[in-house]
Amino acid sequence: MLRRSGIFLPAFAAIALAAVALAQTPSTRTPDLTGVWTTYRAPAGQAQGRGGGGGRGAQAELPLRPEARAKVQEYQKLVTGTGDTPGGYCLGTGMPGSMMGSGGYPMEIIQRPDQITIIYEAHNEIRRVYFGNRVIPEKDRLSERNGYSIGRWEGETLVVETTKLKEQVDQRYPHSDQARIVERYTLSEEDGRKVLTAQMTLTDPAFYTAPVSETKRWSIVPNGFLMTYECNEPAWTKRLEELRAKSSQSTK
Amino acid sequence: MRTASIALAIALIISLGTLATAHHSAAAQDFSKRVEMQGVVKSWEIMNPHGKLVIQYTDPKGTRAIEFETHSRNNVYRAGYRDGMIKAGDKIKVFVAPNRDGSDGGYLVAFETAAGERVGLDASQR
Repeated sequence: MLRRSGIFLPAFAAIALAAVALAQTPSTRTPDLTGVWTTYRAPAGQAQGRGGGGGRGAQAELPLRPEARAKVQEYQKLVTGTGDTPGGYCLGTGMPGSMMGSGGYPMEIIQRPDQITIIYEAHNEIRRVYFGNRVIPEKDRLSERNGYSIGRWEGETLVVETTKLKEQVDQRYPHSDQARIVERYTLSEEDGRKVLTAQMTLTDPAFYTAPVSETKRWSIVPNGFLMTYECNEPAWTKRLEELRAKSSQSTK
Repeated sequence: MRTASIALAIALIISLGTLATAHHSAAAQDFSKRVEMQGVVKSWEIMNPHGKLVIQYTDPKGTRAIEFETHSRNNVYRAGYRDGMIKAGDKIKVFVAPNRDGSDGGYLVAFETAAGERVGLDASQR
């Protein structure tokens, strides 16, 4: 009996270890989203389709509450005619604007089992989507324009929930700090080319009477790369010129 | 050559309709129109979020410096621009979405250098 246990115990341990290892590695069915992606364009001869290009077509009127609408109108009144936008001041788009395309620039996804990092070229804007043990307690999270994002896999669909957002009226989808954004990413293939579909739903009872949704599609850029997006350099150069002018005046 | 330039500029205007709104409201310019001008480069700054080109321009109204805003450094690069392509003193042909109020300037959507290098925004490369 003892001898038989001596045979079975190592075998059982090996099976248990294999099971643990399997649980710790991503499922073989988990899609790999790593790569550089650009706004989807339908193959030649095919219709672009709704949501395909991620462009700024006519937007249906948003179901904003009166007090939220007043805030948005106040903002729009401020900037109308000035040409001013957050991007003009080197400020990132923030969610959900960043995931909807961020000005038509490409994005890069770097996927690890415990974290997905999304880099939007415009303004070097970065989102980090945390999984499992990487998720920190709610009390330790700070509000940001891109919020705090937690990911999970539902089969082959990546689901990302984002909260802890700052109130932003300078968005295509303005929202309060109570907003919750759920993105669902699915991978497909078209003419041998990877296509990533991102479906976004924003729920924000403080700003909206109903959830709002939009879909953005991306095409893979084989061997693509992002460029650095320095934006504050002109402001720094101007500041140095001011300091030089001040310095030359004081030495006269 | 001229036909190709016009086609390029029109393509640019169409593609910029979306992109120009990324960092800056393009409401001041009329992207349904295109103006072609030739002048001499006074200064060229390729930067984000928008570049700036100033040319010395002469027409019946006189000779003056005209400033154009253009796309981000990153998109101008993707459109084909490389360092050294534009220098002060160079002749240049520009394709511009003019200011709605009729004033000098506008949004530079394409250009052709004295060496014949044309830079525009090819949407398929974004």
